[in-house]
Amino acid sequence: MILPYLAAVLLFLATAYSAIVSFRQKPDGESAGPSRIFPDRTNRPARIFVGFAMLILVIGLGLRFGTNGRNSAPRSFRFLIPEGYRGWVRVEFDIPGMPPLPTEAGLIVIKIPPSGLLRTSSPEQYGWARDTYVFYSNASLQPISDSGPAKLIWGKINGEETGSSGKRKYEEFFVGSEQQYKDQIDQPKPKDSSRDSHSPAAIP
Amino acid sequence: MPFVLYFVTAVVTGFHVYTLLSFAVYGVPVNLLELLSLLGSFCLLIAAYVSLFRPHAGARLALLACLVMWSFYAPAIAKIVRTRWGKPAAMSQLMGPTVGAMSKHSFIAARPS
Repeated sequence: MILPYLAAVLLFLATAYSAIVSFRQKPDGESAGPSRIFPDRTNRPARIFVGFAMLILVIGLGLRFGTNGRNSAPRSFRFLIPEGYRGWVRVEFDIPGMPPLPTEAGLIVIKIPPSGLLRTSSPEQYGWARDTYVFYSNASLQPISDSGPAKLIWGKINGEETGSSGKRKYEEFFVGSEQQYKDQIDQPKPKDSSRDSHSPAAIP
Repeated sequence: MPFVLYFVTAVVTGFHVYTLLSFAVYGVPVNLLELLSLLGSFCLLIAAYVSLFRPHAGARLALLACLVMWSFYAPAIAKIVRTRWGKPAAMSQLMGPTVGAMSKHSFIAARPS
């Protein structure tokens, strides 16, 4: 939190100092000698040492940030939803004892059961992602549109909630038409806060 | 003194802008001024090295780099000052009653449909 203020103060100091040095007239006579604030040029070994140190620093930072993105795990999900399912889908992450999510062709596959709730021991994924949605049945797979007029995916959120069983990271979205989604939103909020939040309601 | 000042400023401002740019992975749009400021930090790093053997030239380069960085920091500071002086929005009206136990209903209700 202090970083922006520190950056602004340092930038102000650097600007003021560089402006003073840039527009300063070199005084003549004995007072023209170097000082701590306006030093003279450094000796050659020091320049070479500092130059190498900065070069190593810049290259190191470049490699660090360059490889950081390439070596990251796949972040995109492929949601397999039961054909004809309408309602909320919820995926809970970091649940001990639950099976991990499989990966296929660089995508993390999340096969949602007919209940709409899936618990997994795999961690939540953050970062750039292009999630895909598919209806599955015994016979075939059918892509689901998450944009445009035929959109069937709404209100996607992810978050963390604290309950009696500790913290839960989850991801939720609604499967259905726009009208069904709006009807869900307009529903009155349950007054009982101790309801089971882990059982998404499917629309018949 | 000039080397340390330029170097520390370059590292701190560069890291600050880098953290802001890293929010792009969460979908935050990248501002061109942030990239410009990052370029300024890099120039300031070069100015720090130049100041070791040509203090006057290093100072001019540093001044140029600082002015480039101010193109990002000045509007940002102005915005912060204006926001602090302005009337704060009543965000609590949009929030659910419990913090940290947000249900899907309360979250969606806060969104414009």
